Amino acid sequence: MKFVIQRDQLMDSVQNVMKAISSRTTIPILTGLKIEARHDGIKLTGSDSDISIESFIPKEEDGIVYVEQIEPGSIVLQAKYFPDIVRKLPQKTVEIEADDQLKVTIRSGGSEFHLNGQDADEYPQLPELHTEDSFELPTDLLKNLIKQTVFAVSTVETRPILTGVNMKLEDNHLNFIATDSHRLASRRIPLEKQTQHLNFSSVVIPGKSLNELNKILEDKQDSVEISVTENQILFRTKHINFLSRLLDGNYPETSRLIPEQSKTIVYGTTKELLQSIDRASLLAKESRNNVVRLQTKEKDQIEISSNSPEVGNVVEELSAKSIEGEDLKISFSAKYMMDALKAIDNEQVKIEFTGAMRPFIIRPIDNDQILQLILPVRTY
Amino acid sequence: MRTWSEMTTIQPLVSKMLVNSLKKERISHAYLFHGARGTGKHELSILLTKSIFCNNKTDFQPCDNCKECHRIDTGNHPDVHRIVPDGQSIKKEQILHLQKEFTYTGLESNRKVYIITDADKMTSNASNRLLKFLEEPSKLTTAILLTENSQSILQTIRSRCQIMALKPLNPLSIKNKLVEEGLSESNAKLMAALTNNISEAIEISSDEWFANARKIVVQLVEVLQEKPDESLLFINNNWMPHFKERRQLQQGLDLLIIWFRDIIYNYVDNSDSIVFISEQEKIVHSSMNWSREHATKVLSKIMEAKRKLDQNVNPALVMEQLTLQIQR
Repeated sequence: MKFVIQRDQLMDSVQNVMKAISSRTTIPILTGLKIEARHDGIKLTGSDSDISIESFIPKEEDGIVYVEQIEPGSIVLQAKYFPDIVRKLPQKTVEIEADDQLKVTIRSGGSEFHLNGQDADEYPQLPELHTEDSFELPTDLLKNLIKQTVFAVSTVETRPILTGVNMKLEDNHLNFIATDSHRLASRRIPLEKQTQHLNFSSVVIPGKSLNELNKILEDKQDSVEISVTENQILFRTKHINFLSRLLDGNYPETSRLIPEQSKTIVYGTTKELLQSIDRASLLAKESRNNVVRLQTKEKDQIEISSNSPEVGNVVEELSAKSIEGEDLKISFSAKYMMDALKAIDNEQVKIEFTGAMRPFIIRPIDNDQILQLILPVRTY
Repeated sequence: MRTWSEMTTIQPLVSKMLVNSLKKERISHAYLFHGARGTGKHELSILLTKSIFCNNKTDFQPCDNCKECHRIDTGNHPDVHRIVPDGQSIKKEQILHLQKEFTYTGLESNRKVYIITDADKMTSNASNRLLKFLEEPSKLTTAILLTENSQSILQTIRSRCQIMALKPLNPLSIKNKLVEEGLSESNAKLMAALTNNISEAIEISSDEWFANARKIVVQLVEVLQEKPDESLLFINNNWMPHFKERRQLQQGLDLLIIWFRDIIYNYVDNSDSIVFISEQEKIVHSSMNWSREHATKVLSKIMEAKRKLDQNVNPALVMEQLTLQIQR
């Protein structure tokens, strides 16, 4: 294998794939970074077995040549040293060459590094992508989908399946659902393309992987191509492939959890509610689940209060746009409520309650694409 | 690596059972291989793993040449997980890692294999965590537990595994091989009793430390017989300085076990089986001192001492208690 490459391009790619490489892995080869030279460009791969990132540097793009003198081949290099070497090389171009003995030579200007590589055959074989099974989403929409749901995944391992986000295809709509059994976040979007040809209906993607993906995706209008294979999901942008393993098992049926009628409906301003709950939570102690209380008053007033006897209490009144239905006193976790309100990207919000002991739903006022459900806290 | 046909000569029964289950595609979800050191537990587990993953099998014999086989050998296969004791025991965190792996889909396929070496060294916390997954296995997962002592594995784990008892190698054939390698008759017999591994046996026998260890064991027995009052002194002055590490102490206790076994052989007139042939007179002398019943009791006490060492009990205390128990 041999090629000459622009250092800046190489550095960008290396930094991208390094995000997947972890030094704490049980499989020795995964401490390495795979470099594959092909006639059309260079592909770098990094993986910690949960997620894998592939970054592709084309031979030339928009008339600018990035890679020259390609002799195809592949090698695995120690990820501990390679990025630093590339960063500190003196010249703009780097020559990388590997021989049959897995010895790698990196040349740039007057400096020359010799590294011991590992056999690329030892590296895990990532599934080939099948473009016909894929669908596309704009990057910013995907990032929103992730942000609005992933915070609600469970962090405890007692029910491992809940540490993931359920991605479901249903009558041409794409659903993202996450729950930790105390709250639920879901977002539903219509798909433009027909989805009959897609070979999956429901998969569970680990929350950790989605957080990683969110960091890697740039806020651009470009689209992301998503395809699902038997055991992995692939997110493909122009030059980066992001693969994640899936969670094994059946996601619980969540549609029945969502109450269909409501007894009290509160319409309010998202920001005001959020800020007032934030203030009330200052005195709500972490150890007691951060509980705040919401009470409806006359003339469309809401009272938000919190009381911890050792510290003190706080009462705040704010006016809602309107309140319909029965009077209500309810307690809930301030953290869950704030997370839910933050996920709603509309100025006006509609909260539907069905009694103090039943879960309540938060939705933006103008659509039902976003749904946040929270279980109240029982207080006496 | 060995082939199934080679394994059949060493472990005919187990190999046949495994090959048959491969043939019928009825691989169990969990196996427990138990057998003494050197009986081929590890080789068998690797062979089985390769047979599960290899794509170019001929008659259930993995090709040993493809990517899958190579990566299983080097420990780089992403869907094969190995757990080895971290220090003295297999910790909860190691099982937690496995637990996470159980909940994810495989990286390349959905076939997963877990090999847990020295499964008896799992802490009770770790065992109970593992148990949960042995109880609800997923279809394509195979766990292989390896142990030298299946009795110290949680009963509930044992009952969920298909137990494969590897038969001990024939000590006579090992002894003969060692004699061929140039060891003296008496040494070869002792080595065959201590280990099942030929190269390890040769290494130990040429070790000066081991020669001294053997001498000290004989001395200890003499002290216990002649001057029981000085035995604790002997432990402190001679025994402990020589057997500094736990591994060494275990070996010393192994020698002591052989000695007391010889006493029992002497009682039952099975002098062919006596290992310390060169010390036969002393064995006879020991038999005068200790009854057969007592010797049996001592054997179980030594086993207990070995177990305590594994559990990190202070070695000096273990030895002192043991000598007091032997005298009694």
